[in-house]
Amino acid sequence: MTFFNSSLAHTLTPASLVAEQLSLGYGEQLIIDQLSLEIPEQKITAIIGPNGCGKSTLLSGLARVLKPKAGQVLLNGKSIHLQSNRKVAQLLALLPQEAHAPDGLTVTELVRFGRQPHQGFLQQWGYEDEAIVQDAIRLANLEALAGRALNSISGGQRQRAWLAMTVAQSTPLLLLDEPTSVLDLGHQIEVFEIISQLAKAGKTIVMVVHDIMSACRYADHIVALKQGAIIAEGAPKDIITSDLIRQLYGVDCHIMEDPHNGSLLLTGAMRSSR
Amino acid sequence: MRMKINAYASPWCMSAFLLLVLLGLILLGLSIGDNGLTLQQSVWAVFGAGDTFAVFLIQELRLPRIIAAILSGAALAVAGCLLQTLARNRLATPNVIGLDNGATAFAVASIVAVPVSLATPVLALTGAATAAALAFGLSAGSGARGYRFIIMGIGVGAVFGALTNFMLARTDMDSANSAYPWTVGSLNARPEEAIYWLGCALILSVPFAVYVARSLNTMRLSDAVAIGLGASIRQTRWLTLIVVVLLTGFSVALAGPIGIIALAAPEAARSMSSANRVPVLSAGLVGSCLMLLADTIGQYAFSPIEVPVGLITAIVGGPYLIWILLRQPQQSTL
Repeated sequence: MTFFNSSLAHTLTPASLVAEQLSLGYGEQLIIDQLSLEIPEQKITAIIGPNGCGKSTLLSGLARVLKPKAGQVLLNGKSIHLQSNRKVAQLLALLPQEAHAPDGLTVTELVRFGRQPHQGFLQQWGYEDEAIVQDAIRLANLEALAGRALNSISGGQRQRAWLAMTVAQSTPLLLLDEPTSVLDLGHQIEVFEIISQLAKAGKTIVMVVHDIMSACRYADHIVALKQGAIIAEGAPKDIITSDLIRQLYGVDCHIMEDPHNGSLLLTGAMRSSR
Repeated sequence: MRMKINAYASPWCMSAFLLLVLLGLILLGLSIGDNGLTLQQSVWAVFGAGDTFAVFLIQELRLPRIIAAILSGAALAVAGCLLQTLARNRLATPNVIGLDNGATAFAVASIVAVPVSLATPVLALTGAATAAALAFGLSAGSGARGYRFIIMGIGVGAVFGALTNFMLARTDMDSANSAYPWTVGSLNARPEEAIYWLGCALILSVPFAVYVARSLNTMRLSDAVAIGLGASIRQTRWLTLIVVVLLTGFSVALAGPIGIIALAAPEAARSMSSANRVPVLSAGLVGSCLMLLADTIGQYAFSPIEVPVGLITAIVGGPYLIWILLRQPQQSTL
């Protein structure tokens, strides 16, 4: 991979992301209550849990999209809400679930948005910016589609284009909200492989993932969330047990090792009789 | 070293092209008509050379009107472009959400109804601000997005429109006549000081408009994406609204409610520029060109009768709007 020598990786200095007694919610409703979490640097962290457990809310809180009701998020030791938005955007990129592109916007034009936090009011677009954009497009396997309009390519390709935009932001931290939720198996694996490459190049990645087997296969660190609280945290092989699955999803299953890649497999899943 | 890339040079080419068109229209506006002046004499007269009649005609009559057209066209178009982008909807221009009507109602009130000594531009600005506050206040919670605030604005605009008509119906003939230009949109009876107010407003707000355009551009993707890219949503929203109210209020005070410019000029500017930017400056230039062209047509095409510029823009702009909507039925959002 040429990527490892490219302009995407060489400027990355790791940044720390920590939640301290974080409480998040919408209106009167409290979804996450006094949660503390330290994101392991230069690793892939997957947040898993049942629907409505607060996974996306937690990610929004970590990415400063949602203002905390109490507690704080520390980026490099300082409260993220007290730092300038643009400075934070140079350290932390976010791919939210809901995003739509204006009509006629091409793949390259979308990816160029990623350079926005690095450009000042009067600062011109430079060769370095363009090189980073091209690297991000290459990494996402979109060279052939670079000039195409986003609404004319497939869902999997579009998701890769959005991912490329966050990559072009060249931040040490990357937060992804269900990056593969609408994709078929092949495109899911493609996106996860890109994410793995990014982690190998030194990025710290936090992603909300629905599919627990994908989380086990691609994440180094898993945070299991239930009703807004962390009930287990650690490496997949240390924490994923049939007990935890029952607690999280109300599902009985057996857990075995994938004979081909050593990852974890869930078999014989059925609704818990309890 | 940072250098410009080719793909990004085109906006400058477009601005240069639009400036050339504008210059052509200025020359046309200076020299057209049966006043016996050649193009050369008209241009000299701008700088005070030539006989007294020529200098008077150009410096006192034509030039101020041309400047008024350029300023009001630019202001309306920039305001339209910003508000459309903020609301992510092509229909969300200041006139559609009632800002023009609010400004008009207050401007008319300053002439026919209220014995206030405040200048018309200040009252028009107050009117625009009131309409904006009502439209946004009544649709509270849904923010500057979606149909709720547009529909609320249409309602607010209708109330102010009715108020204007009520005041005109209740007042005597002379006052109604002097207030008439504000109801159709005309550059003929512009108040002298309104040009200075609008000029200052433009000089002040265009840098802010260019500044917020960057954040507005990312907000087109979604608020969460915009925050991720470092935009400050609240700050951007407030700045945009302030600039829009300022420009709309003062341009209505100068030229009346010529809302179609705010709708058509950004549309034309967008179709000329790439989809990855908010073309604030080109929209302003297109607005100036359209306004100047429409006013020139209104003055001379049907001579000796002068047709108010607001009627010309409505006659041309109405079908243009319908054409846009027919051409891209699925693209009403931005």
